[in-house]
Amino acid sequence: MSKENPTALERFIWGIIPENPIFRQVLGTCPALAVSTDIKAALTMTCATAFVLICANTIISLIRHLLKPHLRIVVFVLTIASFVTIVDYLLAAFYYSMSLQLGPYVPLIIVNCIIICRCEVCASKQSVGVAISDAIGQSLGFGLALVSMASFREILGSGTWCGFRIMPDSWPNWVLMLLPPGAFFVFGFLIGAVNWFTSLKKNKSS
Amino acid sequence: MKKEHPLFLCIKNSYLGQSWLVILLSIFFGFTLSGVQAFLQEKIDTNKSNQSMRIVPTLVPGAVTGKSVTVGDLTVYEALNQNNKRAGWVIPARGQGFADKIEILIGLTPDASSLSGLSVLNQKETPGLGSRITESSWLSQFIGKGTTDSLTPTKNPVPSKNEIRAITGATISSFSICQIVNENVKKFRAELRKQQADP
Amino acid sequence: MIHVSPSPHYPGKSRTSSMMMRDVLIALIPCVLMAVYVFRSHAVFQIAVCVASCLASEAIFSLMRGKKIPLRDGSAAVTGVILALSLPWSAPWYVGVIGSFVAIGIGKIIYGGLGQNVFNPAMVGRAFVMINFPVALGASAYVSSGTGIHIITQATPLTAAKLTAQVSGLWPLFLGTCNGSLGEVSALACLIGGLYLCFRRTASWEIPAGIFLSVIILGGVANMVSIHKQITVLHHLFSGALFFGAFFIATDPVTSPLTPLGKWIFGIGLGFFIMMIRLFSGYPEGVMFAVLLMNGCVPIINRYTIPVPVGGPVPEKKVS
Repeated sequence: MSKENPTALERFIWGIIPENPIFRQVLGTCPALAVSTDIKAALTMTCATAFVLICANTIISLIRHLLKPHLRIVVFVLTIASFVTIVDYLLAAFYYSMSLQLGPYVPLIIVNCIIICRCEVCASKQSVGVAISDAIGQSLGFGLALVSMASFREILGSGTWCGFRIMPDSWPNWVLMLLPPGAFFVFGFLIGAVNWFTSLKKNKSS
Repeated sequence: MKKEHPLFLCIKNSYLGQSWLVILLSIFFGFTLSGVQAFLQEKIDTNKSNQSMRIVPTLVPGAVTGKSVTVGDLTVYEALNQNNKRAGWVIPARGQGFADKIEILIGLTPDASSLSGLSVLNQKETPGLGSRITESSWLSQFIGKGTTDSLTPTKNPVPSKNEIRAITGATISSFSICQIVNENVKKFRAELRKQQADP
Repeated sequence: MIHVSPSPHYPGKSRTSSMMMRDVLIALIPCVLMAVYVFRSHAVFQIAVCVASCLASEAIFSLMRGKKIPLRDGSAAVTGVILALSLPWSAPWYVGVIGSFVAIGIGKIIYGGLGQNVFNPAMVGRAFVMINFPVALGASAYVSSGTGIHIITQATPLTAAKLTAQVSGLWPLFLGTCNGSLGEVSALACLIGGLYLCFRRTASWEIPAGIFLSVIILGGVANMVSIHKQITVLHHLFSGALFFGAFFIATDPVTSPLTPLGKWIFGIGLGFFIMMIRLFSGYPEGVMFAVLLMNGCVPIINRYTIPVPVGGPVPEKKVS
């Protein structure tokens, strides 16, 4: 995975599992821990982050030849912050209840390391097509992680999945899963599970 | 190495030569953002005012809208009915809950003699336990309670006149709500009486 | 696990971990008998569920790590009994099962098994279920009027003291004829078992002594400045899980400091946190959180209480 210039397809596939932003790079854990109490919030967060990531990657990739090395981070942050503000306005205008629920976590996308990392690693070095497919792949990986965490937390914590009751009514809600410690437990177990599967695969191939 | 003209080098190393991209991008994004804001601000504002105005009629029966007024040194909402007459009061209040500050809105009858409604705006109580203070089935028992005596939470299944049935496992959250209501209603009644005696 | 302490080391028969665990089980007998006497079949049920699931999870997690199943040292059984005795009588079966799984899995095996864990496994399990199922383990879980057992019609003494400032008599608190978690009701039963442990030197006497000392001092101060004069130092001592926690939970040799001075610091800090939680927090009892907090401090305590070896301090090595 340390090739000089990976192709668009490679970038896309890497983003989902082999270089999954949450489980592998352990980046962007702030939204992953805070906004994974239910599926709806997780999906909204994923869409918001995906929008910012794709737009920022496109812009940065378009202007990559004009970037000065010592000013590149300023340009990254400027671009990201602008798109985050746009997303914040869009949410407040068209999905006000979710905007209230997510609260400060939408503006906090600005400091989500996944985006600045993708700008630095991929968009500032490769062409627009590769950058966009990289952004889509990383967004899918981010969404996969968030939705899998939110599934565990919502099913155990509220007995529902995306608002639908799937556990029997006698199910005792695991309150801990809705609290911050539950997020860390689920996060740890999922990282462990991903590593375990990978090691199984490696053992098989060798 | 290619030799560059000294004038070219001078421009390249100047402030503008280094930062023109950042400046251009800032201007570009500034215009984009102000465009987005001009386009969406109105919708966001209506969302916001809907949020608080939607609550006022649910707290005071007969009210259709509310306006912000000051009584003494308190800022409260006066709930107005269709004929623009006073239908009641809505007092914003906050106090310490079990986990964090709880923000509530208290609805009162026009003479502030009894509660006409209660709504929780903001709370971070334990999910599944303390967070049940937001359930309307629990909040509805405050409606009609007199404001002359303090409200106390109780475990009795049948609460008496000034008692509120506490939530199982969330005695402290229930107690906090009663406390916030008691304190703020008492303060408001005192201010209201002062204002009426000395208009 | 060998008995860990600073030098001089001496090999003794009573120092293997299975012998120590047997000692703890013997010492727990009075508490278990008292629990069975007071809560009848509820106590038997809780203990059976917790011990069985602790043994099962120890076997499962050890197999997952590819190790031999170390059930014979009895540590899983001890964790199970202590966890069961710290639960309310009414806890549903899944509380015991999940608590045991978390106690053994997250509290012990993840750290590398017996002797490696930072936090007391039983308390990790209890904290997990306590926060997870607040309805099943909160103050209201202790009270019921339809079971034919008289004492569980009243609130637990500490809850009553916290919410309504009612005080129960000292004798019921001491003997155990008042409401509470299974093992903690009787201070007397805990005292008998605890003294046995201290005389066998399985538990270090410094830890309970430190806890009692700071609870007496802080309870005395609280009694003097508080408006509820009827809650005396003795009430603070005999109510809740204090005796049970002091003798059986805090003295776990794996999660407590090694040196006598460290043990005193550990005990006094524990008593401090217990009283702070009892007096100023939303919870009526604080032994569990206090133990977990002080467990986290043990590495620091150990580091700063290394005893001076015989013959003076070791001279610092000079870098040449």
